[in-house]
Amino acid sequence: MPPDNGQAIVGQAVTCAGLSHTFQTGGAPIPAIGPLDVTFAAGKTTALLGPSGCGKSTLLRLIAGLEPPSEGTIRMGAETPDEVCRRAGLAMAFQDASLLPWRSLRGNIALALTLARRQSDMDSVDRLIDMVGLSGFETRRPAELSGGMRQRAAIARCLISEPDLLLLDEPFGAVDELTRRRLNHDLPALWQARGTTALLVTHSVTEAVTLADRILVLSPRPATIMADIDIPLPHPRRGEDDPAFQDLAHRVVAALEASAEGRPLAAQ
Amino acid sequence: MTTRALDRPGLTLPPFAAKTVGIVLLFILWEAAARAYAGSFILAGPLAVTAYLAQHADLLARATARTLTNAAWGFLWGNLAAIALAVIVILLPRMERLATAVSLLIFCLPLVATGPILRVLFGTGEAPQITLAALAVHYTTFLALMVGLRAVPQSWLDLVRTHGRGAGAQLVYVRTVASLPYLTAGLQIAAPAAILGAMIGEFTGAERGLGVLTIRAMRAMDVDATWAIATLAAALSIAAYGAFGWLGRRLTGTPPALLLTAPRPAPPRTLGRRVLGLAILIVTPLLLWYGVMEAFSLNPFFAKRPADILAFLVTGPEAAAHRAALLGAYAETLAFTLPGYAAGLALGALMACALLLAPGLGTTMLPVAVALRSIPIVTTAPLIVLALGRGAAGTIAIVAVMIFFPTLVACLQGLRQTPRQVVDIFDSYASGRWRLLILARIPAMLPAFFASARMAIPAAILAVTTAEWLATGKGIGALMALTASTSDYNMLWSAITLVALTAAATYAAVSALEDAVLRVYAAEQVAR
Ligand SMILES: Nc1ncnc2c1ncn2[C@@H]1O[C@H](COP(=O)(O)OP(=O)(O)O)[C@@H](O)[C@H]1O
Ligand SMILES: [Mg+2]
Repeated sequence: MPPDNGQAIVGQAVTCAGLSHTFQTGGAPIPAIGPLDVTFAAGKTTALLGPSGCGKSTLLRLIAGLEPPSEGTIRMGAETPDEVCRRAGLAMAFQDASLLPWRSLRGNIALALTLARRQSDMDSVDRLIDMVGLSGFETRRPAELSGGMRQRAAIARCLISEPDLLLLDEPFGAVDELTRRRLNHDLPALWQARGTTALLVTHSVTEAVTLADRILVLSPRPATIMADIDIPLPHPRRGEDDPAFQDLAHRVVAALEASAEGRPLAAQ
Repeated sequence: MTTRALDRPGLTLPPFAAKTVGIVLLFILWEAAARAYAGSFILAGPLAVTAYLAQHADLLARATARTLTNAAWGFLWGNLAAIALAVIVILLPRMERLATAVSLLIFCLPLVATGPILRVLFGTGEAPQITLAALAVHYTTFLALMVGLRAVPQSWLDLVRTHGRGAGAQLVYVRTVASLPYLTAGLQIAAPAAILGAMIGEFTGAERGLGVLTIRAMRAMDVDATWAIATLAAALSIAAYGAFGWLGRRLTGTPPALLLTAPRPAPPRTLGRRVLGLAILIVTPLLLWYGVMEAFSLNPFFAKRPADILAFLVTGPEAAAHRAALLGAYAETLAFTLPGYAAGLALGALMACALLLAPGLGTTMLPVAVALRSIPIVTTAPLIVLALGRGAAGTIAIVAVMIFFPTLVACLQGLRQTPRQVVDIFDSYASGRWRLLILARIPAMLPAFFASARMAIPAAILAVTTAEWLATGKGIGALMALTASTSDYNMLWSAITLVALTAAATYAAVSALEDAVLRVYAAEQVAR
């Protein structure tokens, strides 16, 4: 949707060059990433799939500047991840929603503005709460919300600071299938309309094909690219009825199976 | 099903009725014992105690007010120091090893020796009592706060960092609030400890306060007075403990099961750095010791410097005789401390297991144990001495009692940490309580057990030196008392140094054992 309707793309391309990361633990070093050379196009949503423990979260953490890579560089435009962080140009949603239990829903979302040293604009907070379908719950604490509501709140917290780069680590992981479908349907428009560059880690092939413009299937640890699949379908996508959707989903599943079994992917 | 009864949240804080039953039982037992032993000058029953309290209400009220005021000031300063130190360590993680070591060393200084020195320093006023109360609380609050400041999911910290903010913002927006329940749990432990510190300060020559009355009653062998004052001090401690517990629950909800684990940063990688780190650990306390004395130009007559101690024990003319006297007393003390320490830990852990196997007992016993835990040793020591005499049995019992209750409470909490699913799996095999206890619950209890074993070291030292000082006249506690009154400050400082070094070495040894055991039984606790 975003590039076609002529809106300006706020995001910038993210480039990983010669990227690899190894955890130095007490015992043997654990190579988690790479080597990886990849560019995530500006304003596009890329889904990352791969077996558990293959290094997906680690890749997002490197791009978020939470950890310096052992080797290689990451750039967003000309900026390093640290520089992007410092101007609050990125936002990350964590595997658990990571809401602070002592803050209300509103307080949790406004926290992102406080941390980014921006004016706490309660009107836009409430507007965003409305957009993620949580109006009426503004003053509730996270413990009073369901798992799906908390994850929507976490997404709202990511969006409130209007980031150029959105990093979503299994944002709908703890949600039942029905809620997940609804979220998949409603939420992406919120960032795709702005032309935000987004990276989405997920275990759901349907979710990946529904949301993403491109899917990367990663190999087991250390993560390298097993398959790079474009999803040229128009939004909104209705998986079940569309043969092209099904075909793409099959290709992703085949790549995942190859990755899990550790064999090279047959040419397609 | 019986093993489960304790795990149900409704029963972890036993109902009011169970508490009342436990307390009434305790009083009946007490009065019965007093009547059985009437005439042996050991026990005063609740009726005699009440009579004494009523007769001397005025005097006791004034003494109580004095002691509580001092305890409150010490509580304030000690906790402020703890909070400041914790914040520094969180903001400057490199300081951690040094800060915890120095803090522990200060906590291990025997109060019965620092008391007289502070007395010389400050005179007859209230400053020594306040200082001792502060010294008695700062370490536990520091540990509790460190656990709390760290008990934060990584992703909350990452959230702050992805917005380009650092350790300061993490502290303000995340750690502070997240640590509040731990802080209140720490303050709850600190409240009775402050009363203890103030009372020990009063032993060392104050003019007013419950500690002064305790000493007088003991000297006069006044059984009714000794028991009445002990009961009053115990009640105050329990009340302080309860009040802070209530306040904590009001402010922050159910308190977390607090395990006072000393932060253990990863050791430096290279050998050179390790040696350097160790050197800093040894040199800094010496520098602090010397530096504080010089900075305040303390009179070298009573404020001995490290060099004085070295001369006194090693290089001076009569060094060998000094060493013999010191080590003789030291050996006597160890002979009391080690059995008491081992017995207190073993009984605490065994009792925790027994209470778990017979949960009906647990509901009545636990509130009693929690209450008794908060009674400071200075109030029970005179009673135990009355009962068991001034010999080995009395001293060992004092050490054991001092360690027993905290160990019991910590181990019970640890036993409850057994993951629900693990208990369910054992139940599904109908494998019985004993197997569950040995294979699942005891491993889950180990971290709590070792935490109490570490915290028991300063407690044991405090107990044994207090007992020797007040009652038995043997060992290093008596040596400290004697040298304090004869102004033999070289010997006093030597004794302090030896005791603090022993505490630090034992602490390190227990930590090493803990690492080795937990690596096998509770790997997740070590790998941090
Ligand atoms: N802080 C760390 N220290 C050591 N190893 C780590 C650390 N974080 C992750 N790993 C290891 O790196 C690998 C990739 O982890 P992660 O990125 O979380 O995988 P996932 O793809 O499931 O998100 C795993 O094998 C994990 O054990
Ligand atoms: Mg992950």
